[in-house]
Parts: sequence; structure tokens; C-alpha cells
Amino acid sequence: MDITGQDVAQSIINGLCMGGTYILIGLGLTLILGIMNILQFAHGEVYMIGAFTVYLLSVLNGVNLYVAVVISMITTAILGLILERVLLRPLKGQFLSYVCVTTGLSLILQTTIMLTFSKGTKQLPSLYKGSFEIAGAYVSRERVVAIVIALLLTLILYTFLKRTKYGLAMTASAQNREGALMQGINPNLMSAMVVAIGSALAAVGGALGGSIFNLDPYMGGLAFMKGITLIVIGGLGSIPGAVVGGLLLGVAESLLALFFGAQMGIILPLVLVIAFLIFRPRGLFGHD
Amino acid sequence: MLLEIKDLAVRYGGAEVLRGVSVEVEEGSVVTLLGGNGAGKSTTLRAITGLVPIASGEIWFDGRRIDGLAPQKIVELGVRHVLEGRALFPYMTVLENLKVGAYLQKDRGKTAQMLKDIFVHFPRLEERQGQQARTLSGGEQQMLTIARALVGGPRLLLLDEPSLGLAPLLIREISKIVRNIHERGVTVLLVEQNTRLALDVADRCYVLETGNIVACGLTQELIESDLVRKAYLGA
Repeated sequence: MDITGQDVAQSIINGLCMGGTYILIGLGLTLILGIMNILQFAHGEVYMIGAFTVYLLSVLNGVNLYVAVVISMITTAILGLILERVLLRPLKGQFLSYVCVTTGLSLILQTTIMLTFSKGTKQLPSLYKGSFEIAGAYVSRERVVAIVIALLLTLILYTFLKRTKYGLAMTASAQNREGALMQGINPNLMSAMVVAIGSALAAVGGALGGSIFNLDPYMGGLAFMKGITLIVIGGLGSIPGAVVGGLLLGVAESLLALFFGAQMGIILPLVLVIAFLIFRPRGLFGHD
Repeated sequence: MLLEIKDLAVRYGGAEVLRGVSVEVEEGSVVTLLGGNGAGKSTTLRAITGLVPIASGEIWFDGRRIDGLAPQKIVELGVRHVLEGRALFPYMTVLENLKVGAYLQKDRGKTAQMLKDIFVHFPRLEERQGQQARTLSGGEQQMLTIARALVGGPRLLLLDEPSLGLAPLLIREISKIVRNIHERGVTVLLVEQNTRLALDVADRCYVLETGNIVACGLTQELIESDLVRKAYLGA
């Protein structure tokens, strides 16, 4: 089978779109890791729940899709707040307990969703119907919308962290915890904020992912892996790094799948991660 | 008394790092804690701001008992701690570091006024306000940590080894800054290994040895006493 320029253009656009959903899950992971010093192993399930909430509202109850996404962001943020208060805060500083609890939580959430929703294929409606032609390739509008939404939310987050008092306090807490404490910054407030924001972003990621792929209770596992991958590539704690890492990962996967088959599209980025960990552990934009 | 430490004991693991430490700091004064490495000077400061748990004793600030409070609550009451090793936010700019220092100030106008005031006293920081903190020289970094604490408008400033790693010329600069802070009405509790700097600025002084206070009094008296002269001034 010949691969045409059109196929390449098509798969770059698809890759950028996937990259958008990766960015949304990766941002939460990297912020939580930076400020709380924990890897939130259930973050993929937060993404999954975000997608199912949108499904429940828009497909089963006829709520407008965009309204459903906003409601999903809010409920997922509240879920994040509860998670931080009930599970994470009492275990502060106990690294192994964090790993066990968040891993356990991810299994519980997967099973709960599996038991709650009926079997059968589930998909979210298209974000924006139709397609248009660009450089000979047909691009569905919803993919462009997905990229735009992901980049827009990233920009809002970046502005929040750079320009607002609470954003600066969060950045400061990630850079020197004790130094931040001595400016009167409440670390529990920072943790609650970062988990809530990260969860809301993951929910949007889930909604975007769910409009491209089928929904399934186990969709979070792979998404979590992608999030970790892009943190390694982009550099821990760096927002520009997350954006570049996410888009790079999405496009690399998509092109590799086009040339070498779908399996390679999944495996080769992981090789990339290993290469980064060995040769440039701080990633593209991270600091030491 | 603005700060009163009564019979403080701190343990790390099984070891007693401080025992029976009592320190009094009068409002408007500069008090220094002297002592060698590992005497417990930093631990005393860290106990005041709640960064280490205390085993027994009491700490009072401005008529309120503060031991057991969360660190950020103690800071809210008006205690600022300039940590050993500076604890700057390295990838944030000088201005951002200072803005975080004003985190508790709710009135934006007051924050702007405070920043202006700080830049009058630290013109170097104004020149470098857009630079990342990690790119500053050691002396400038030390100024930034002190300035960041002052932006918060403290009543009591705890300074942990401000001269550490600085050239002699800069150490003189630091002692000027401390005197200047004092003139603005801020009470200072200074921990120093550089005895000359400490005695130069302090009204009262305490000497710590392996977790005990072994001497205290007015600076002038201590300078004349044999203990301090022999141990710390090498005379």
C-alpha cells in the first residue's frame, strides 16, 4: 500500500488532536507531582469519569454537549477536592501509602463504572460535525475543535499560574516547599487547588478523547501512560514542556502507526521515554 | 516581651537537640543566638516557626502561645523566617519572588507601596526584577530572601545565617541591612556563626552549646566576659 502525502497530513492532524487530549491529562499529573510530590495513579480514572459524566448527561439525558462538558469539569473538580481531603491529606509524606491508595482507587473507580453502565459500544457525539479540506487532506472539524480547546485551556492555566496571586503561590510551592510555607502559604490549600484544577482538565481530556474513541471503563490506564510519557519528554513541572511533549507524542504515535503499523505506534514512544530518561532526564523544558 | 521561649526541648529521633532553652526577645531589639555548628541555633528558629515539632516547653509570641500552630498561621501572626540556604523560588523572577512574599497582604495598593519601599532600600533588586532568582549572585540572593521577608511586613524577623557563603565586603553590607531593619522598628532574632557580625548588631546575646544556653546577657557584657572572648572571638 502506498502512503500518500495526504495520508501523512491526515495523520499529523490526528496526532495533534490526540496530543491535545494527552496535554490535558499530563498537565494535571505534572502539577500534582510538582506541588504534592506524588504520582496520582488514579488520574487516568479521573479522565475516564470525566468522559462518562459527559456521556451520562449528553447521550442518556439529552443535555447540550458543551454544557455537559462544563458540568463534568465542575463535578470532577469536586471529586478531586474530596479525593485530596479524604485520601491524600491524611497520608501526607507517606510515599508508599500514596501509591497503594491511588492505585487501589483506580481499580475501584474502574469497577464502579463498569458495573454502573450497561455493556455495549458507547461514544460521545461529535463536538462539531463536518469536515474540511486542508492541503488535500480531509480534516474533521471536531479534531480541530479538540486541539483548539486543549490549547486554550492550557493558555488559561498558564496565565493563571503566571499572573494571579494563587497561581504564583502554586508555582512557588512547587519550587521550594519550605520557602513557600514561610510566606504564609497554606500547603493544604495548594494541594486542594492543584488536584481540583488537574482533575477538571483531565475531565475535558476525557470528553475530547471520548468523542474520538469509544468509551470504556479502562480507557484511563492508557491515558495515564501517555500523561507520564509526555511529562518525561517535556520535563517535569513545565507547562510549555507539557504542550510540546503532548503534541510531539501524539504526532509521533500517529506517524509511526502510519508507517509501521498500530503496534509500533504504541511501542516506539515508550522507547523514546527510555532514551530521554537515559540521555536527558530533565526533558526538553524541565529544570534539574 | 514580643517573643518568649520557655524551657524548650526538641528531639530528632531519640537524640535531644535542644533542652531547657529559654530565650526572651523584647520588642524593638536585636537579639542574637551564637554557637558552633550543631549547637541547635537553627533548630531553635525552626521550632519558633513550627517547622520542627517540639518535645516540651512553650513558645509565646505577642501574648499568644504559638507552639503547635501550623507554620503558615505563625507567619500570619507577623513572624518571618529567613531560612538557612535562602529557600528562594529559583525559576521565578525577582519580582515574582517578592510578590509571593506579599501573599498574605490582601490590599493590592499596600503591596505596591511595600514593593516600592523595598526597591528604595535594595536598588540592586529593582535593576534585576525581571531576572530569575537563580541567576543572581550569592549576595543578591541573600538580599532577595531578606527583602521577600520584609515585604510581608513582619513584626519579628528570624534570620538564619545571613552571612553564610558571602565575601567579607558583603557581610558588612548584611550588617548594615540588619541595622536598617531594626531602625524600621522590626524586631530581629539573628542566628550567626560569624560572631563579629552578630555582636556588631545585637543588643542582647545568647550562647548555645550542644542544645543548652550557656550564657546570656547584654552584648557588651558578654564581649567582656572570658567565655565569649575565648570561644568565639579567639582572643
